[in-house]
Amino acid sequence: MNPLLEQFLSESRDFSQGISEKLMQMEGAPSDQGLINELFRLVHTLKGNSGLFTFPEMTRVLHAGEDLLGLVRNGRIAYSQELADRLLDAIDLVMEMCADIEATERIDASRAGDSARMAESLRALIPEVPSEAPAPVAIHPGATPAGLPLLSEVPEAARKEALRQCRGGEALHWVCYAPVQDCFFQGDDPFFCARQTPGLLWGAAKPLQALPLLAELDTYRCLLQFHLLTSASREELSEYFRYVPDQVSIVPVNPQLLEPSVSAPPGNVQHHSAAADGFKGGAANSPDSPQAPAEDQDEASRERAAALDRILAAQEQILKLDDRPEWSGGRLQSVAAVLVNLARAAGDEVAISEIEAALAECLSSGQNALLLLWLETGREHLVARLSSPSASPAQVKHKPAAGPPNSSGEAAATEGAPAQSAASDGIKFGRRAEDNAPSPRSLKVDQAKIDRLMNLIGELVVSKNALPYLAQRAESQFGVRELSREIKGEYSVINRIVDEMQDAIMQVRMMAVSYIFQRFPRLVRDISRKLGKEVQLVLEGEQTEADKNIIESLADPLIHIVRNSLDHGLETPEVRRACGKRETGTLTIRAAQEADRVVIEIIDDGKGIDPAVIKQKAYEKGIIDEAALGRIDDREAVNLIFAAGLSTAAVVSDLSGRGVGMDVVRSAVEKINGTVVIDSELGRGTSIRISLPLSMAVTQVMVVESDGQLFGVPMDNVVETVRIAKGQLRTIKQTLAAVLRGRIVPLKSLNTLLGIPAAPRANSEHELAVLLVHAGGEVLGLLVDGFKETIGLIQKPLGGFLSGLTAYSGSALMGDGSVLMILNVREII
Amino acid sequence: MKRVLIVDDAATVRMYHRGVLESRGFAVEEALNGIEALEKALETPFDLLLVDVNMPRLDGLGFLKEMRRQQIPQPPAIMVSTEAAARDEMAACHAGANCYLVKPVRPLQLLAHARLMLGEANQ
Repeated sequence: MNPLLEQFLSESRDFSQGISEKLMQMEGAPSDQGLINELFRLVHTLKGNSGLFTFPEMTRVLHAGEDLLGLVRNGRIAYSQELADRLLDAIDLVMEMCADIEATERIDASRAGDSARMAESLRALIPEVPSEAPAPVAIHPGATPAGLPLLSEVPEAARKEALRQCRGGEALHWVCYAPVQDCFFQGDDPFFCARQTPGLLWGAAKPLQALPLLAELDTYRCLLQFHLLTSASREELSEYFRYVPDQVSIVPVNPQLLEPSVSAPPGNVQHHSAAADGFKGGAANSPDSPQAPAEDQDEASRERAAALDRILAAQEQILKLDDRPEWSGGRLQSVAAVLVNLARAAGDEVAISEIEAALAECLSSGQNALLLLWLETGREHLVARLSSPSASPAQVKHKPAAGPPNSSGEAAATEGAPAQSAASDGIKFGRRAEDNAPSPRSLKVDQAKIDRLMNLIGELVVSKNALPYLAQRAESQFGVRELSREIKGEYSVINRIVDEMQDAIMQVRMMAVSYIFQRFPRLVRDISRKLGKEVQLVLEGEQTEADKNIIESLADPLIHIVRNSLDHGLETPEVRRACGKRETGTLTIRAAQEADRVVIEIIDDGKGIDPAVIKQKAYEKGIIDEAALGRIDDREAVNLIFAAGLSTAAVVSDLSGRGVGMDVVRSAVEKINGTVVIDSELGRGTSIRISLPLSMAVTQVMVVESDGQLFGVPMDNVVETVRIAKGQLRTIKQTLAAVLRGRIVPLKSLNTLLGIPAAPRANSEHELAVLLVHAGGEVLGLLVDGFKETIGLIQKPLGGFLSGLTAYSGSALMGDGSVLMILNVREII
Repeated sequence: MKRVLIVDDAATVRMYHRGVLESRGFAVEEALNGIEALEKALETPFDLLLVDVNMPRLDGLGFLKEMRRQQIPQPPAIMVSTEAAARDEMAACHAGANCYLVKPVRPLQLLAHARLMLGEANQ
């Protein structure tokens, strides 16, 4: 796979994990702005990454998620459970897509529907804009081909150009673009967008409705719609407006309507021609200026004076804020920018230079006194100048365009905000020492590389073991004792280094159990919500480490146990209340290292398991006989749930809920040489304890000989080695057995089990070698010809055709280069 | 060899940009955020900066501003962002960026701008 794609997948998984974690954390702190920002950033970056490739399905979902979180971040939507649920689902879908990409380097075609549905469901959470502005087509009959009344407003020059292009074969289209009112918060820039429309010939911005009074005008809402005449094709326009398809209507224009015969009176054309020039030329041609009602001159000027007063009062308030001294620079600049713009609107050049001088002084002294002083003294003058009805009409008309309410406010904001952030960044930068802490110096390596290194070290172990043989030959065959000693000396050095290497590579393969634990918060939350139970999850010892393979093969059994606990162990809040327990159940998952084993405990304070029920079921299923029914104690009875065949079908409702039972858990754990025990107290809770080796990489095996061949038996299976005289063998019901320390032990010949015709050979004292092994809870004696040494070796699974041989769990290379087959004891008996 | 500093928190994007630039003989260094970038820029001068806007700890705009505030000589800077909005572009230019590209940046587009910024447009 292309390395960039690999990088993308690995990073996507990290991000997805991070997003899930953040979402879970937000359940506890739904208004934590830091968390929301971080969450938004993760989704945003992930979306950006997906854009590098052609994965539109993924980008679409993430884009919707980003939009949604953007609104949460701005406080326009409140965080909710439902929102978290949908986002988690979306992230799950993204993970599935990642799996597709990993397998086939592309997203399965069947995902397109899911992706669209998911994006839809995310967007459904984005509230509709309070609809004073109905759908664009409806509000403007001008958008329908029949009417196009605005066509009459198109100036002569633009008409001629349109007709010319039309004769040149271009189709003409009328675009009505009505941005949603909160489009600014979605990152849209409708004015820019409209002006950049391909093939634009003419355009006008019209207010959706009569604009409110200046004092009530919310400058953060877009109250305009755009009418555009363009010579671009429909496809081109659809492509250009692809992010806002619902806000745009595109209709073809019949060129005949543009012929001079149907044109409007010249005067009208002239008037709008000016407007159009302004629009194309780039000046913000404010829509309300032409309509400013002349008769309300006095009313308007009073209103302006009041608005100005409020603006100036706000500036004074801003100047007097002293909560965050590091922001004062930004505040000063912002206030000064507003004042300068006001002064500019009033045409007061002197005031501008005064303000600028005051700002420079304030910035250098860190005091706000001078600007405050200017506000006090210059205020009256400014208000009088700006709101005076005697101000020249040109000025009044000019004002809304370049004056305070719109553009200058915006300019102040853009000037002010970055200045503030720069100031706070400066502070952040000053705390660098602590900032440095959270970036772990770790390296991501492909597992295949580690495995290769591991194999190489394994081979090194084997080849190093050839040295003692060589030393022996040097001495016995060639009689060079000196050389032999030197070889032995070198061997011990190499031996030590190889041991350390082996240890080091084991360390590399070590993984913290948090790798599996981290998915539990989500799992527990989802299941307990589905079941209507209240569960508090406690994770302990997440940093405990074990070999990667162990950790990975532990995931499924653990999930199964956790599901079981939630499903059948913990009770519903009502039941718990009735039992006098806390309504919220506690599920503890704890990991710890004990000697060379990792112990994982899953403890719940639920209703526990009734040993009597288990015993009865086990008896009914024929797992235990009548004698055992009376004999076994409660603890043993509870552990019967691990027996194959117990927790299936008939007892589903009591124990497991699914077709798979706890025996699956046991066999999975035993496959990695682990053990699992359960302890339960009726009414108080259940605790399951899994004990695992730290590492599977090196297996201790006992080498035994049978019919001249060597076999390895994992030490985990070996109980002891004994020699039994032939005379002590008994035959019970056609089975060989012997009495060992008062217990009857069944005996089986390894030769027979492996299909070797030879009989077990006794030694010179007529004793047979018996290897006592335990498997599946029973002890059994294996008759072999002889015992050899116990060695640690690196077991390799059988590959290819040999993988079907279940009698062997694997093979290993011996020091002399021969191959040792390792028996799978559970399978052969 | 011209040295480029890629500042981006997304490893995938860094790798992608690095691949494009290295294929045309640029020497590339990476930083994960503005703070790291500042440290690198203080250590050795670069010929070109390729800066993401949205980053943890110190974002792209903050980084350029901080460079200016600390009077570290700033090489030409290309700002990259997923935001296509004009005001983001404006903010980037105010912060000292010489050019603003919208992600995903196509390889040729990136190279053309890199050369342009380095005054190698005609070579």
